[in-house]
Amino acid sequence: MSETAGAPRLAFRLRRDGLFPRILVAIGLSMLCAAVLVALAGHNPLTAFRAMLAGALGSPYQIGTVLNRTCPYLLAGAGLALCFRAGVINMGSDGQIAMGGIGTAATVLAWPGPPTVITAIAALIAAILCGGLWAAVATAIHLGRRVHEVLVTLLLNFVALLFVQLVLSGPLGQPGAGFLQSPAMPRAVWLWRVPHFYFHIGILIGVFASLALSFLLWKTPWGFAIRVTGRSRAAAAYAGFSTAAVTWGVMLTAGGLAGLGGGVEILGLHHRLIEGFSTGFGFKAVTVALLGALEPAAVIPAALFVGLLETGALAMQRQIGVPSALVVVIEGITMLFILTATVRRA
Amino acid sequence: MIDFLAAAIRIATPLIFAALGGILSERAGVFAVGLEGMMLMGAFSAVIGAWASSSAAVGLLLAVLGGGAIGLIVAIVTVRYRADNMVTGLTANILALGLTTYLLHILAGTAAIQVDPLGPWPIPGLSRIPVAGPLLFSHPPLTYLAVLGCAGLSVLLFRTQTGLLLRATGENPEAVFVAGADPQRLRMIAVISCGAIAGLGGAVLSLQQVGTFTDGMTGGRGYLALASLIVGRWHPWGAAAACLVFGAAEALEFRLQGFGIPVSSYVVQMMPYLIAIAVLAGLGRSTKLPAFIGKPL
Repeated sequence: MSETAGAPRLAFRLRRDGLFPRILVAIGLSMLCAAVLVALAGHNPLTAFRAMLAGALGSPYQIGTVLNRTCPYLLAGAGLALCFRAGVINMGSDGQIAMGGIGTAATVLAWPGPPTVITAIAALIAAILCGGLWAAVATAIHLGRRVHEVLVTLLLNFVALLFVQLVLSGPLGQPGAGFLQSPAMPRAVWLWRVPHFYFHIGILIGVFASLALSFLLWKTPWGFAIRVTGRSRAAAAYAGFSTAAVTWGVMLTAGGLAGLGGGVEILGLHHRLIEGFSTGFGFKAVTVALLGALEPAAVIPAALFVGLLETGALAMQRQIGVPSALVVVIEGITMLFILTATVRRA
Repeated sequence: MIDFLAAAIRIATPLIFAALGGILSERAGVFAVGLEGMMLMGAFSAVIGAWASSSAAVGLLLAVLGGGAIGLIVAIVTVRYRADNMVTGLTANILALGLTTYLLHILAGTAAIQVDPLGPWPIPGLSRIPVAGPLLFSHPPLTYLAVLGCAGLSVLLFRTQTGLLLRATGENPEAVFVAGADPQRLRMIAVISCGAIAGLGGAVLSLQQVGTFTDGMTGGRGYLALASLIVGRWHPWGAAAACLVFGAAEALEFRLQGFGIPVSSYVVQMMPYLIAIAVLAGLGRSTKLPAFIGKPL
C-alpha cells in the first residue's frame, strides 16, 4: 500500500493538552454501557462491579496479581504511544511480545553452565533484541517496499504466534507434556517477587521505561522530531527530520519494549514458554496507549486500570457468573468514545 | 487434486465476501481494518439466528444486520467524527470479539450451540459433468452467492453512475460534491454495506461450514481478506483470485500431511500470511491506493 502523503494521522496535538477529562468521561460512559449489558444478562450491575473491585483489590495477593497483569501492557503500550505520536501505526506488539518470549526461553534453556542472575539479565536482553528484530522486519518491509505498516505488523503477528508453536513443538518444547510448552525454568532466573504481594519486579521496569520515554518525548530533540513527524510529515521534512529515521527509531524502541514485556512475562509469571501466552496482548497495548492519550507517563495509570479491570472480571465471573469478556467490551467502547472525543475538528 | 481445489474454494469463500465488502469501503475512502470484527459479528449472529429460529434464512438476515451494525459503528466514528481509520477498525475488532464472547456465554452458557450446516446445492445437470461438476457446481448456496457478488460489485463499481460517484468519493470527494452528491453520505453507506457483506462472509464460516460458533473463530481471516483486496488492486475479480491463492496455501496443509511430506504443520499454517506479505512486498511501490483514502471529509 503506498503512503498517503499528508493524510492526518492520529490527530493528537504537538503539546500536552487537556485530554484527560474527556478520557474520564469516555470511561464513565463505557461503564454505563457495561452496566446495561450486565443488567441484560439478569444480574445487578452494582453487585457485579463490587465483585470486580473486591476481586482486584481485596487482598495483597490480588493487588499483586493486578500489577503482574499490568506489566506487559505497560511495557508494550508505552512504546506504542511513541509510535502513534510519530504517526506510525504499529499493530505488531502481539508478535513482538511473542518473539521476546522466545528469545528469553531460548537463552535460559541454552545457557551453558549453572543459571544465575546473569542468565536472567542476558535472557531479558535477548527478549529486547528479538522483539526489536521482529519490529525491524516489519519496518524494513514497510519502508523498503511501501506496504502499509498496519498490514505488515498485523500479518506478522500471526506468523510470530505460529512460530512460538513451531519452536515449542521442536527445539524448545517439553516432550510428553501434552501441551505446547517449554520445560520449567530454574528458580535462579525467576524475577524477584515482593514478599506478601507476590508481584514481580517487572512492573518497576515498566514504570521506569514509561517515565524514560516520557522524558525522551518531551525533553529531547528526538522527541521533538517524533512529535513533528506525527503532526505533519511535510513540516518534519522541511525541518530536516527524516521520516524513515524517525520510523526506524520508534519501531525499534516499541519492538524492544514489547519484547521485554514478553521476556518479563516468562521470567516473572509463567517460568516457562507457553503456547499463546501473548495472545491479545498487542491489542491491550493499543488500548492502554490510547487510554493514556499517547503520553508514555500516562500509560502507567491506563495500564493499571486495564489490569485491574481484567483481574476483577475474572473474580466477578467466578463469583456471580457474569462472563469476564465484559472487560473486552468495556475496553472497546471506551476506545470508541476516546476516538470520537479526541480527534481534531477541521 | 479435485479435493485440493475444492478445499481451496471452500477456504476462500468467506475471504471473498469480506474482500468484496472491503473493496466498497476502501473505494469510498475508508480503510477496511474492521473486516475481522464485521466477519466475527456476522458469524455469531448467523448461528444465533439459525439456532433461535431453526431457520437458516433468519440466520443469514441476522448476519447481514450484525455485520452491518459493526459497519455502522465504524462509519459513525470514522466518517462523522473523522477518527483515524486504522485504530477505529482495530477497535471495532476488539469490540466485536468482546461482544460475541460475552453474548455467547450469556445466551448459551457452557452448552455448545449446534445448528445444521448449510448443505450443498448441486446445480441440476451441470453438477454431473465430470471433474468440473464436483469442483464447481456442487457447492453450498453462499459459495455461488460469492461469485454473483463479484459480478454484481464489478457492474456496480464500473458500469453505473452510483459506482462512479463511489469511486470518486475515494479519489476526489470535492468533485462528488460539485456533481451534486453528498460524499459523506456515500462513505457512510459504503462502510455499512461493507459490514453487511463481510457479515455474510462470517456466516459462511459459522453457518455454512461448521454449524457452530466459537470465540474468535475468524482467527485473522479479516486481515487476510484485507491483504487480498490490495493484492487484487481493489477489483472484485482480482481480489477473489488472491483469496483463492490464500485458500490454496491453507488447503496445502491437509495435502502435505496426506502425502507424508515432513513439513511442520505450523510452517504450513504460516504460508497464507507469508505469501500475503511477500506478494504485498512484491507489488510494493506499484500499488496505487485511492487518492483520498484515510482522509476525513
